[in-house]
Amino acid sequence: MEFKNTTLSNGLTVIAEVNPSAKSMAAGFFAKTGSRDETDEIAGVSHFLEHMMFKGTDRRGALEVNLEFDELGASYNAFTSEENTVYFAGVLPEFQTAMLDLLGDLLRPALRQEDFDMEKGVILDEIARYEDQPTFKMYERLMASHFRGHPLSRNVLGTPDSINALKRDDMQQYFDRRYSPGNVTLIGVGNIDWDAFVAKAGDTCSHWKPFDADRTLSPCGGSGLRIAVTDRKVNREHIGIMSPAPAAQDDSRFAAQLLSTIVGDSTGSRLYYALIDPAIADEAHTAYDMLDGTGGFLTFISTDPQRASQALEIALDEFKKIMDAGFSDAELQAAKNKIASAATLKGELPMGRLTAVGFDWVYRKEYMPLARQIETLFSVTADEVMTVAREFDLTKVTVLALGPLEEI
Amino acid sequence: MSQVFHTKEFANGLTLVSEPIADVASSAITISLPAGVRFDPEGRAGSASVLAEWSFRGAGGRDTRGLNDALDALGCQHHENVSSRHIVFSATQLGRNLPAVLEIFADILRRPALDDKTFAPSLDLIRQDLDALEDEPSRKAMMQLREKFYPHPLGRGIYGSAESLAVLSAEGLRQHAAACMSPAGAIVSVAGDFDWDRLDGLVGEHLGDWSVSAPTAGETRPPARGITHIPKDSAQAHIALAHATVTVSHEQYYAARLAATVLSGGMSSRLFTEVREKRGLVYHVSTSYHSLKDHAGMFTYAGAAPAKAQETLEVTVGELRRVSEDLTEAELDKAKTQLKSSLVMRGESTAARAGAISADWYHLKRLRSLAEIARDVDAVKVEDVKAHLQQWPARDFVMLVIGPEPLDTSCLTL
Repeated sequence: MEFKNTTLSNGLTVIAEVNPSAKSMAAGFFAKTGSRDETDEIAGVSHFLEHMMFKGTDRRGALEVNLEFDELGASYNAFTSEENTVYFAGVLPEFQTAMLDLLGDLLRPALRQEDFDMEKGVILDEIARYEDQPTFKMYERLMASHFRGHPLSRNVLGTPDSINALKRDDMQQYFDRRYSPGNVTLIGVGNIDWDAFVAKAGDTCSHWKPFDADRTLSPCGGSGLRIAVTDRKVNREHIGIMSPAPAAQDDSRFAAQLLSTIVGDSTGSRLYYALIDPAIADEAHTAYDMLDGTGGFLTFISTDPQRASQALEIALDEFKKIMDAGFSDAELQAAKNKIASAATLKGELPMGRLTAVGFDWVYRKEYMPLARQIETLFSVTADEVMTVAREFDLTKVTVLALGPLEEI
Repeated sequence: MSQVFHTKEFANGLTLVSEPIADVASSAITISLPAGVRFDPEGRAGSASVLAEWSFRGAGGRDTRGLNDALDALGCQHHENVSSRHIVFSATQLGRNLPAVLEIFADILRRPALDDKTFAPSLDLIRQDLDALEDEPSRKAMMQLREKFYPHPLGRGIYGSAESLAVLSAEGLRQHAAACMSPAGAIVSVAGDFDWDRLDGLVGEHLGDWSVSAPTAGETRPPARGITHIPKDSAQAHIALAHATVTVSHEQYYAARLAATVLSGGMSSRLFTEVREKRGLVYHVSTSYHSLKDHAGMFTYAGAAPAKAQETLEVTVGELRRVSEDLTEAELDKAKTQLKSSLVMRGESTAARAGAISADWYHLKRLRSLAEIARDVDAVKVEDVKAHLQQWPARDFVMLVIGPEPLDTSCLTL
């Protein structure tokens, strides 16, 4: 495996992890923009724009775009988060150039009015789809509460009101403000012809004009609020707990990942034994979310309404126990083995490596081969993990429960 | 690309199938036992799900924690699933840890603790899974559709019902386990980084002398079928349709798979283009092929705002039918490229390969190489697909809608 990188004259960075023994290759444009970079008036524009990117350019109409992807046998998609919008595709190596020609072209979209009007309905349908998924609604409200007053409180989909009010020109202005070549990275992984990759990137993207596209970072300690959102149409109680954690730029992010695994992995963790094993909850797991200049530990619990308060208190008690008394060496080793195993598995697929390589670069301008990541993981000490638990204080929580209960 | 397979049929009825893969560090194993939901005793649906959960609460002298810790120490990611025919235990780990994982799974299969005290929480978790379905209307719609489409009890919901779960007992479930956790008809599949001779030896050592007769598969009854509306004050109407198609072992299997790809593979597929792109009726619409050993269906789902649900149904059914009339050469070629590409890309996952060879053995009693599949896909002509669709038309639907209002279903019988 070999790491390659270059920057085009307009500031677009192109990087790749070249693996000649892979059977496919994947490429993605990572735009460092998301809901945190919007304003409330245009809430949801990043995600709506992500949809509009597939509706064509000056060279291609919407139906042609779809047809071309499928004729390449591509596996393709895009996603928008609070901080990033990523457009990616995986193809067999012989389709690399054709795929990049298409993907690169899309990033300068036509944003036609009739496509905009049609797709607005689809966005509203997507919002409705998530209305019927209580766990997702709970997550949105948890983020809004924990990050109250901070850009990360804004949810990615927007609201029916903000989407209905959005104009095509608002979207164009947002695009013109955020999609600078200096704010986008082109990532490639797998069986890549590097020279052809760079040449094609140059062909397709050199005409993008550079401009500044910044993001103001501010710390967030979390609101610490405990809120129950009552919805009697929901059957179970969906509980979200969030507390501050190291940022994506932080060296202690490996320790943070280990901590979240010890606390709330889906097997063998504190929450597993305290909640799943006795069937007090049918789901209880903790994840570490690395963000730009901040981070969060997120715990999700699904339980019967009548046992929800009990489940919550048990979880908070487990957080306190870790901070007071730490964990065993066996727990730390098990967490290391599980994370290393999962990373190895994910790394066997070009699509699996794409986001790992991509976000290492987007957040830290760093490339870390998988082997070195695993080495670093194994070198983390128990003290370093405990330092994260204490410095960030696992008990400093924001709680959001969604379900039949009126309070939690 | 040269693929190598090794298979072995043991005297006790267990089959080991495997595919070594170069340049990977992981290995994936799936163990499929003839203990799926179709074997749940009548009135005790949910047995397999509870058993799959309960089996991990201690085995071979280890308690729950001991078992869990042993697998965690090996970095083993494991899942337990229940399908129509099987309980499937799957595990992925670094290749070098496979022997130790296999030894632990042998304990789970042959010496599960199945203690009284761990029965109640196992049952409780499945009851909660059943409850949670109420908050997942799209998943509930597809599960209940399967139950009405396939002959009973092949398509039964894996969680059973509140009533059937309530009558399960530890002793009853132990007896059920003794009857169905059997090597007779079991398939162990391994893909990734492993040595065949060593694997053969280990399976022989740990499972070769495991002797339990095959469970009896009871008679099947005709499916309930029909058109069902489940009222729910949901933001979307969740529309689920099923119609019959050919099984994996049928000579028209590839024609069916290609038809599904034309209809639903990628953003230029018929359903995506006509229902979403051109009319903006939905965010999600798709159809997928699903096969049991002797019955198969095309399962279609669309989630639409209630005001658009009627048109969504009519356009979707129209598209499911139209392809039998005007399928083009270009569309078929595109579908072939898509299918072959996705086979290669999925083939990079050791877990996906372990699942694929296990399914091959179950349906075909042989393993298909990617080269063979590519050849058979390429051999299908437009007239083959049209002929297939005429013999297996988008008619005689079973339908289920979860949403505020029922729909006018006259388009189903046009």
